[in-house]
Amino acid sequence: MTTMPVIAAAEWGGEFEGALDPISALFEFPAILDLGPLSINRTILIAWFMTLVAGLIFVVAFRNPQIVPGKLQAACEAIVEFVRENIALEIIGPRGTKFVPLLTTFMVFIFFMNFAKITPFMMLPPTSRAAWPLFLALTAWVVYVGVGIKEQGFGSYFKELAFPPGVPKVLYVILTPIEVVSNLILRPFTLAVRLFANMVAGHILIVITLVAIHVFLPSFPVGWSLGVFALLVSPAVFGFELLIIILQAYIFTMLTAVYIASSMEPAH
Amino acid sequence: MLTVVGIVLLPDTPELIWGFVAFALLMAAMFKLVFPKLNQMLEDRGSAIQGQIEEAERTRQQAEELRRQYEQQLADARVQAEEILAEARTQAEEVRREAAARGDEEAQAILARAREDSAAERGRLVNELRGQVATLSVELAGKIVQKEIDAEQHRSLVDQYINELSGLN
Repeated sequence: MTTMPVIAAAEWGGEFEGALDPISALFEFPAILDLGPLSINRTILIAWFMTLVAGLIFVVAFRNPQIVPGKLQAACEAIVEFVRENIALEIIGPRGTKFVPLLTTFMVFIFFMNFAKITPFMMLPPTSRAAWPLFLALTAWVVYVGVGIKEQGFGSYFKELAFPPGVPKVLYVILTPIEVVSNLILRPFTLAVRLFANMVAGHILIVITLVAIHVFLPSFPVGWSLGVFALLVSPAVFGFELLIIILQAYIFTMLTAVYIASSMEPAH
Repeated sequence: MLTVVGIVLLPDTPELIWGFVAFALLMAAMFKLVFPKLNQMLEDRGSAIQGQIEEAERTRQQAEELRRQYEQQLADARVQAEEILAEARTQAEEVRREAAARGDEEAQAILARAREDSAAERGRLVNELRGQVATLSVELAGKIVQKEIDAEQHRSLVDQYINELSGLN
């Protein structure tokens, strides 16, 4: 991962300051305002700003909703419509409508957090920090376990979960630990890790591309071609990252819907 | 913090707290400010579209009703026209027949009058002729016989003769 800055430093003559910083320098930011567990750092400021933007867009879009929508309202309606039709109704079914606000919040929040990765002056997705995918996955976990308990009753939900019906009793020796771990631990864990790893990788890719341009482009003739190459592929890298940003927001929301759906219908 | 090497996999407590706060605030905004209005708007839009569909259906029915009325009126008018035409035809036929009948009658009357006239004329001529023949016969007989016969006897004789004569006709 640190190869590129090392090459850069070597080509530069060993004077590239910060090139040999540990990779955590790309993610870790010191507290701007030190308040102990309530300290505020750059990541949190980015997240707040993006949350504010996301909230404002939707609140303004539906502040005075028109029957014939304007551009902003139509765009936001399209997003909600997508969540309703392609996630809630398709995965959960007709009863999925009541989860549309929650699922929309998940998708919009994750999208805007991810989008900070390619937003100038931010260039850091809060979701590439373990805390963010973690609390999102925990929220999803609380929701789908809560729905399961509410729909099937506490005992029934956990019984169905640990002892899936229609299986020979002997198999429960193997199946029950797998089911419990898979449903209650692996699900939120994979949700969080998938988002986290994608954002970390994307952030590193972006940083390497930009650092390569920054370092190699001015160093004619040594390594200059690498700088030109990095400059030429950078739009493709940004485009690719935009795709990942949207895709991960969608996948997280979609899987949350799948888990909610599995909590709503017992015995499957 | 910067002493850590590699990517940090453990969550940062302030980020966990503030991140969740941001997420919760966005969710609150969505639940309180966005979705109630969105759902209200969707309902309004639904009823507006429903209303428009119903309005269109009403208008269509009205148009259909009008069209039916016009067609009915047109059909009525056509029937009336045909009735009028038929009546006119009947009347014309009647008038023609009456005229023909009257013409016939008149012709018959004229013919009858002509017959009467001719019969009367014939009668008159016969009488006149009869008188003249009688006179002539008397004169002739007188000349032949040279003697005066009883005029009254003579006249009856002539009448008999004439009657016989007319009986031959």
